[in-house]
Amino acid sequence: MKISLNWLKKYVEVPVSDDELIRLIGSRLVEVEGVIDETHKYDNIYIVRVERAERIPDTHLTLCQINVGDRLVQVVCGAPNVREGMLAVWIAPGAVVPASVHEDVPFVIGKRKMQGYESCGMLAGADELDFGDDHSGIVEIDPDVAAPGDLLADVFELSDLVLEIENKSLTHRPDCFGIIGFAREVAGILGARFNEPNFSSSGLGLSKMSYAGTRAEPSLRDEPVRSGRNIHFQKSKSYYDSENLGSLNIDIKDPSICQRYTAIILEKHGEMKKKYLTWMDTVLSKSGMRPVDRIVDATNYLMLLTGQPLHAFDYDKFVTVGGGDEVEIKVRLARAGEKLTLLDDKEIELNENDIVICSGEVPVALAGAMGGKSTEVDKNTRNIILESATFSLYNLRKTQMAHGIFSEAITRFTKGQPPYQTLAVAEACAEMLADGFRIAAVVDEYPMKAPEVVVKITTSEVNDLLGAEYSKDLIATTLTNVGFGVTIKSERGSKASTESGAEVLEISAPEWRTDIHIKEDIIEEVGRLLGYDNIKPVLPLHGTASRNEMFEFKHEIRDLTSRWGANEVLTYSFVSGRLLAKAGQDTDNSYRIVNSISPELQYVRQSIVPSLLEKAYMNQKLPVDKFAIFEMNKVYRKEWGMNEENVPVEGTRIGCVLAERKNTETAYYKAKKYASELLKSLNVEAEFVPLSHAEIAEAKMFEPKRSAEVLVKGEYVGVVGEFKNSVRSEFKLLPYLAGFELDLDKLLRLRGNEKKIDLREKEKRDLTIETNDTYAELVEKIESVLKDVGAAAEIMPIGIYQPDGSKKKKVSVHLEFAQMTDDVMEKLEKL
Amino acid sequence: MVEIEKLKQELKDLNAKAAGIRDLPVEQRAEFGRKINLERQDLLGKIAAAEKALLDVEVQPIDVTAWSGVNEKMPEFYTTEMGTCHPLMAEMDRVVEIYQLMGFDVMESRQLDDEYHMFDTLNFPKEHPARDGYDTFRTEEGLIPPAHTSTMQHRVLKKYRKQLEERGRLAVVVPGRVFRNEDVDATHEHTFYQCEGVYVSQDCSMGQMLGILREFFEKYYEQKLNIRTQPGYFPFTEPSLEFMIEKPESLGGKKGDYLEMLGCGMIHPNVLKQAGIDPEKYHGFAWGGGIDRLVMLRYGLNDVRMFESGNLNFLREF
Repeated sequence: MKISLNWLKKYVEVPVSDDELIRLIGSRLVEVEGVIDETHKYDNIYIVRVERAERIPDTHLTLCQINVGDRLVQVVCGAPNVREGMLAVWIAPGAVVPASVHEDVPFVIGKRKMQGYESCGMLAGADELDFGDDHSGIVEIDPDVAAPGDLLADVFELSDLVLEIENKSLTHRPDCFGIIGFAREVAGILGARFNEPNFSSSGLGLSKMSYAGTRAEPSLRDEPVRSGRNIHFQKSKSYYDSENLGSLNIDIKDPSICQRYTAIILEKHGEMKKKYLTWMDTVLSKSGMRPVDRIVDATNYLMLLTGQPLHAFDYDKFVTVGGGDEVEIKVRLARAGEKLTLLDDKEIELNENDIVICSGEVPVALAGAMGGKSTEVDKNTRNIILESATFSLYNLRKTQMAHGIFSEAITRFTKGQPPYQTLAVAEACAEMLADGFRIAAVVDEYPMKAPEVVVKITTSEVNDLLGAEYSKDLIATTLTNVGFGVTIKSERGSKASTESGAEVLEISAPEWRTDIHIKEDIIEEVGRLLGYDNIKPVLPLHGTASRNEMFEFKHEIRDLTSRWGANEVLTYSFVSGRLLAKAGQDTDNSYRIVNSISPELQYVRQSIVPSLLEKAYMNQKLPVDKFAIFEMNKVYRKEWGMNEENVPVEGTRIGCVLAERKNTETAYYKAKKYASELLKSLNVEAEFVPLSHAEIAEAKMFEPKRSAEVLVKGEYVGVVGEFKNSVRSEFKLLPYLAGFELDLDKLLRLRGNEKKIDLREKEKRDLTIETNDTYAELVEKIESVLKDVGAAAEIMPIGIYQPDGSKKKKVSVHLEFAQMTDDVMEKLEKL
Repeated sequence: MVEIEKLKQELKDLNAKAAGIRDLPVEQRAEFGRKINLERQDLLGKIAAAEKALLDVEVQPIDVTAWSGVNEKMPEFYTTEMGTCHPLMAEMDRVVEIYQLMGFDVMESRQLDDEYHMFDTLNFPKEHPARDGYDTFRTEEGLIPPAHTSTMQHRVLKKYRKQLEERGRLAVVVPGRVFRNEDVDATHEHTFYQCEGVYVSQDCSMGQMLGILREFFEKYYEQKLNIRTQPGYFPFTEPSLEFMIEKPESLGGKKGDYLEMLGCGMIHPNVLKQAGIDPEKYHGFAWGGGIDRLVMLRYGLNDVRMFESGNLNFLREF
């Protein structure tokens, strides 16, 4: 949303500098995303009178002598509508064309020769001045508002700053989506009472409306006419005054989808005033909309001013579509299969959530979102129906999503526009069009009025929650400044009545504040308007924190593994179906994201290692010669089912992949070293045995002949090894490749409580045995010997050697004896 | 091996048979061709599968109980200089440590959650447009990879309710990975990290919240900082604020250069009530902010995508 400070200042007096105002808005109302500086956008652009206009023969050009206030200047103009006596806008030589100020190279107007005639500056069209797209001619200025020599910027207050507001932070404040509501907040922030403007002149006195065109035409250059007061009907109310047009009936099928529907029929009684460039055109442009025509502009202007969107239907088309001869407006939910062609010529298929406006039974507009083609107002329109209504934000939110409509109107409706002002805004619109239309009928259907909200709160409740010391009076003034009603009552007989400050503030919310329900809402108002930055930060006393074992466990692992030269990485939790297939994992076992960004991110991963294999390929290509990458993160599998909270069981894993470009040794043993040292350091006693759980998701990609599974106290906790050749070739990785994946939840549960510390003196021996056994079998034999002789020793591998041509391996181990016997080495050497 | 030879022979035979199409009456050719083609596709598939399987058949087994290969050196770790922790994880550890020193417990966030925890328990009305602001992903089952760590608030409040009653105070931080369905560029990632804070006591105030947050940022950036707030909107806090710090000069900031660091506010009474905490008796505050941004500022990084890139040229710098 864009907010022009000049427009804003029409409703609120601002005694501080613009910078300070913007800072205050940012810190007490809403995030200001940016400020568009237009203070010099219209420099050197003047109002001029065309004194002489002569056609240059054989061209479409006109040679003009223009009065720029103190002299005549010659300009060549190509516009068809230039004529003697008109007031026009002149961009003087050296000035920048306003529409180009934000371009990389702004267009600077100069003096030049056209067809042999000197042209000094140019007469501007609306598009060049950045007031819409109209390029049909030059703009004309009402002689009542300006004289030759006036600066355009002065006449229309164009030296301005325009704030770009982040809409998201006003999701709960529909009232702030209009200049009036925004100004009210600014007044409150500045500590001043807001004067509610009356943008509707008629109030309850509908009979005073100028349906005969006798009233003075509203001047759009000035502020909207102020007189009378707003009106509120609790029930349907209607008013008719036309001999030509039939009656109007509104039928709201369900008040929960439409809280209030006001319609005014306007009957054409004359041609509308000739279109000069108006102040309203300029504010529409500054607010990010484009001037279109008198009717559309009036509805847009009022929406920007009040937050209440309006829509205009062609009355005669509306009646024809409905098939009757009177207007029957029906507001209902669409039925499945119904179709509607919108103003943008798109035909949409309606769904049962969409609210539609019908003429009789025929949908003619998608409520709150966009009008329909069949009732579009065009240049032949004689009579119009003005709609001013509110609709359920819940339905409109779905409509917005289903049909992809993001207009200024629906943006406001989905914040939940309050119903209190529909009639007043519709009337204001009728009045703005009074030179061409008069009111034929007004019907206001308001079946359900929400009760007034009253919140009781004490001064100390406000101060305690904020950590502030605001007085009762300051709180009351702050709230009344922005329209709250405040009554101060002392609660006799209550528990607190003996204490001072027992007075209760009884606060009633104004009808535009649909977001006020509870004490905290009031506290927010007070804290915000007085400035959160005025609250003194203090530190509460605190106790001691408890440990989070998993968090510390991961910290420990990160520390160890990185110290061993490995690199921690993070990869996405979402993977492609292709990646799962490459790793041999079943897509049916993965939760599938239905609105994924791309097929690459479609499934929730089941294990960590496949993502690491992808990153290994990327790094090998960089190229990085050798690396071990690891990640600790969460994984999910459908087969694990739901936990007691009925959300999927989650697993915390560490995955590791190591790869080298040149090494010809067996990668498995390096991976095993990382895994085993890690487990040992974490005080987890683990065994590495041949892989027998090859069906487990993370094990499927490992080569069973060159992988081990890791057991702790007999329980499977993970897998370490090399990958199947088929997997490796799918990932395009070089042969030296291995990795592991371990279940951290299990490791944390199974880790030992205390580290064994053994300070005994140890006898150390090396032993080499020729054997065909596996290492594990050999160790078992050694241990059995040790047991037989009553010795105890830790057995550590040294190496395995197999000379060329030999059938047997020589396995060397290092023994550290805690308990030694005389014959033990002799016996071991015989093995 | 034999299997593949056999399949290849079958394919040869089939191709020979296919040549016979010319001898058939014209009206039968199409049907015949179709049949042959199906068989051919089937055979080619089988051959490809067999060849792939063959890759895994020719593998030499190793002794997985041993600690080194035959005639190979004992394996060694890579050198310590090569090793690194991921900057986000290392910084997350620091962040959590600072909060722990202030007495906050730690509870990690889930990465797959449901509508109930993500929205319902946080006072988002059903179908409310505010739910759209989070650009959530969804699974077929309607589960949600959480878009904010606030998804854990209800759990925190329930789990620590007893401690609150016993000690009069509850203080927890929730680090975790969150997800948003948005286009990725230098400043936006669909996957990033947040840290949530939840504090409840009988006498807590917004002043305390601002105090804790200022303390945290001053400890994290190791200097005095200017702070500022602006009003925000979250259904689960009332009042709601955005918390900003003035970008420190040492990190390339200049005066008046404020950065939004996190969203915060006083916990909405409905959120407390839903977790079984009496909002008449207790008040609370909560906040949540991105860790990626925090770390980028600290290290002067300008591309958030590097964090999840896995690129070792980047990661080995830390």
